[in-house]
Amino acid sequence: MKFAGITAFALTAGIFASLSAHAAGAAPDISGTYWATTYSPKVQVMDGGEPPLNEAGRAAYQKNQAGLKDGSVIDKARRVCTPDGLPRVLATPYPFEIFQTPADQVTFLYEMNHQTRTVLMDKPLPTLESLITEPLYNGHSVAHWDGDTLVVQTIGFNDRTFLDATGLPHTDEMIVTERIKKTGDQLEDIATIHDPQFYTRDWQARFVYRQRNDVRLEDYACNDTHRDLSGIAGVRR
Amino acid sequence: MRMRSLLAALMLSAACAIPTLAADGPATGAPPGLNLSAPGVAWMGFVAPKEPNYAIARTFNDYSNPPSGLGPVSDGPAHPYANNEVAREMRTAPTYRVADLDNDSGKNLMPWVREALQKQNELALRERNGETREARCWETGVPAFHLNPGAMRIVQTPKEVVLFLVGRTRHIWLNVPHSRNPKPSWYGESVGHYEGDTLVVDTIGFNDKTFVDSYRTPHTDKLHVVERFRLIDGGNTLEVAFTVDDPGAFYKPWSGTRNRHKVVNPNNRLIAEPDCAEANDDYFNIGLEPVPTAAKPEF
Repeated sequence: MKFAGITAFALTAGIFASLSAHAAGAAPDISGTYWATTYSPKVQVMDGGEPPLNEAGRAAYQKNQAGLKDGSVIDKARRVCTPDGLPRVLATPYPFEIFQTPADQVTFLYEMNHQTRTVLMDKPLPTLESLITEPLYNGHSVAHWDGDTLVVQTIGFNDRTFLDATGLPHTDEMIVTERIKKTGDQLEDIATIHDPQFYTRDWQARFVYRQRNDVRLEDYACNDTHRDLSGIAGVRR
Repeated sequence: MRMRSLLAALMLSAACAIPTLAADGPATGAPPGLNLSAPGVAWMGFVAPKEPNYAIARTFNDYSNPPSGLGPVSDGPAHPYANNEVAREMRTAPTYRVADLDNDSGKNLMPWVREALQKQNELALRERNGETREARCWETGVPAFHLNPGAMRIVQTPKEVVLFLVGRTRHIWLNVPHSRNPKPSWYGESVGHYEGDTLVVDTIGFNDKTFVDSYRTPHTDKLHVVERFRLIDGGNTLEVAFTVDDPGAFYKPWSGTRNRHKVVNPNNRLIAEPDCAEANDDYFNIGLEPVPTAAKPEF
């Protein structure tokens, strides 16, 4: 009874808080242009250590690594510039832009290969089954505000991408949850990877960007001479 | 007690906030007559008519002529063009595009442009390399950006207008002058401003790697395009009227229009991913140019 009452209160308070935030146009403003200062070809697990691959995942990773080396597996995201997928796109050493208009949608636009992510606000996460005929490289995303943190959930990926540039694998049943928060001119995105077919547990990677509204996104085409990335630690061209 | 007062406070704050519900959310900077980015709105380059209609089918992925003056390169009586939509609706065989070099628009081409088109015409007549650059996953440039028949989605902010069209993206920077020396790029440097309910966009700073149309008409880096975006037909049609000037390729500026039709589906907001290069090889060996391919991973 007491528990139910508290739950009901929490729910009510949550709904009102959310309503008032939205009604007042007070959804936190994270719009603008951002740019990482470092790049790592290998995804960095947040608590250190290696990504917790299970046996099937390890086999897939070894196959990708060997294939990338001998050319039997092609990194299409870099060869013909198909989209990176999550969380690889979050590691981009290029700038990206966030739009919060219209109000019930957040759009991420990445300079690298002008990849876009459409994030619908306050919609339920679709089921895997409902997306089986329309998987996307960067998945289907919904989000809500948890206080000052944008919580983005993404599902419905295809299985043509790697989690990072080393060929870390995933399945098309992966679900990625990101907690995105702006503090001063810094944007932090903590991504949780849920893919029990290839990993023994959920694991996290953290990406940090600096707001750079002085930077304009540029055009990007495969095999162009692209923008100078010499300021981004870890980029080897 | 304490809980109740907290709840009351929350309800009060929600109630206070209600009047602002009518507000349109974040500022777009757009005039009321040119709101192009309402939730679920997309601008389709082509909507099939209920009954077969040649004139409409022809607009599938082509410019329309301007109300007056010199228009874009087009097909001619010797080789009438049938796009896939014309073929479908009129039950004919589709053809590749062969440019008419003897009409007014053809005569407006400088000799090197004419020569390039003659070569392309010969290829197309041999059914080689007849696909558009866009179909081969190349960035289109301007105004060819507008030719895609698919869904354009638009984001408007006070600082910029961003056009998303089937995996391609253009930025229009609002209320700023051109840079002194814009770095040559596929879509150039677009600056824009609103004139009443019209968005006027001026673009320079192009590279010379794109074609200005689907006939593969080349241009130089002196290309200068002015586009005027406005709503007509009671807000149901987005008209893009443009003028193309290139003193290195055309004797005189020419113009064209491209209309997009409003569709509203609040359940579909998706902006298409740039996945053109997936499974897009020249499987039938018909002389298609390769999709843009990096010699090695760039980093």
